[in-house]
Amino acid sequence: METEDSSSENGLLHRKQALYSSLDSCFVIQKEMYRGQQYSQIYFARLHLMRTLLYSLLPNWKPHIQVCTVIGLEEGKECIIVGTLYKHMKLKPSILEEYSKERSATPLVRPHNFMHPDDHLILEDESGRIKVCGDVLLPSVYVTGVVVALHGKETGTGDFWVEDVMEGGLPHQIERPIKSGEDKYVIFVSGLDIGSSTSNPLKFQLLVDHITGHLGDKKEQSIAAKIVRVIIAGNSVEIPRGLLNGQNLGSKDQFTLFEPIKELDIQLTQIAAGIPVDIMPGPNDPANFSLPQQPLHRCLFPSSSAYNTFRSCPNPHLFQLDDVSLLGTSGQNIDDLEKYSDANDKLEFLERTLRWRHVAPTAPNTLGCYPFTDRDPFFVETCPHVYFVGNQEKYETRLIKGAEGQIVRLICIPRFSETGVAVVVILWMQL
Amino acid sequence: MATSKSDMKGFFKQKKKSGGITKAKAKSSSTKKSLSPKRSATYGSDITQPAALISHGFPDIENDYDEKEEVLRQFDMNMAYGPCLGMSRLARWERAKSLGMNPPEDIGHLLKAGKVGAECLWEGRV
Repeated sequence: METEDSSSENGLLHRKQALYSSLDSCFVIQKEMYRGQQYSQIYFARLHLMRTLLYSLLPNWKPHIQVCTVIGLEEGKECIIVGTLYKHMKLKPSILEEYSKERSATPLVRPHNFMHPDDHLILEDESGRIKVCGDVLLPSVYVTGVVVALHGKETGTGDFWVEDVMEGGLPHQIERPIKSGEDKYVIFVSGLDIGSSTSNPLKFQLLVDHITGHLGDKKEQSIAAKIVRVIIAGNSVEIPRGLLNGQNLGSKDQFTLFEPIKELDIQLTQIAAGIPVDIMPGPNDPANFSLPQQPLHRCLFPSSSAYNTFRSCPNPHLFQLDDVSLLGTSGQNIDDLEKYSDANDKLEFLERTLRWRHVAPTAPNTLGCYPFTDRDPFFVETCPHVYFVGNQEKYETRLIKGAEGQIVRLICIPRFSETGVAVVVILWMQL
Repeated sequence: MATSKSDMKGFFKQKKKSGGITKAKAKSSSTKKSLSPKRSATYGSDITQPAALISHGFPDIENDYDEKEEVLRQFDMNMAYGPCLGMSRLARWERAKSLGMNPPEDIGHLLKAGKVGAECLWEGRV
């Protein structure tokens, strides 16, 4: 137990600070107006961005092979085509099928993963589409919406036989200066699910107390003093949806509906009083459904938004802390990939999205997305140093390396309400 | 439904005895811009839908369609700049410019001057 004398003797512990800059301007919907446009515009923007990139990489890959469009393919002639992949899936739920078949009162049981051995890939550009075959491009790995370059030739049956494939690869990474000075920690937590039956208020309170330095002895507190920022990656509340059945809510129900958010606000005030905190919306939070999810509104957090350390961020979230660039989502992109493709673990999905240079390739096909007309904000321009995804089953992490020497730390943040685990990232160079 | 004989005329459109618009009527509308022959081919004809005029699926009713509109329609149709529906022409031109496709500058000037159609032909129709 610290006494007054010893604390004044040792001096006060100061929390470390890191220079923060938010790069979320591409994810926030500001000047866009919905004029009834369809998703063809965002697919065009994506194809154009990726194609320009892939064309610039072609001379290093296969310089002597001619590039052509789908419509310019000649049978038997070896060439390279660039386009968007479309995966034809037999088991993918289709709204038309649901209506053509007899409608039953109970929803049909859905498989969790919609893959089938008969799935095949089709490559499409503005001029046409062609079925892709061969052993190089596995349908279980790819999803609709990925733009790749394929080297191969057209067969007699009108399919494209693939000999080799090139993806965008990891983008260029801005080099970090060699670490000078002190360690700084960043805390990542997600899936707080306040208001649900699985969340235990004591667990979160313990975390808050530890972060703010109210727990432990001098040694523990000095560890807590190194924490520079807390990132809450989605699913912070679970609203009792049973109340939302379309009828007017009585005042008691309104109170019950709002309780989880009030509790979250109280906890966030405790954190924001001492340390900068970023909160991102998730699939269950009171934010818009389609990606990019807009920041949670300030009015939901009346007491914590009074602090300038409190920051409401969009999902996906891209920011920089002292020259370290961090990018991540609340999990919708990876969960959607899991439904439509196969991998050994979640980190492999994360790695694939980075190598495809696109955070959410299945948007807008199976993942809700805003119909942008002039850009595709999910295109990854520069390689982040830390790439995270929230609301996963368990904590996993890996370091991946790119062709130009890029190093990225991939992190799966587990659901706090189920596991009680938060992730601490140390911001210094791993030599 | 039983109707009296005199009402039957109300059912079908009366066909004009003289074919289309006569010269006398054209005089009164002479204050309008004089139309180039290829666009006004329906005038003076009593054929309702001559085959040659159904170029985009309906008869050519855009009678004040000039070369500026023609240039803009070619811009709409150019695949390199992406789909034309769902965006105003100027927005599509600006996007082409920002994506580095170098669209012709004179189309940009034409659209910014503002006296031409802001949307592509199919906007609101498809």
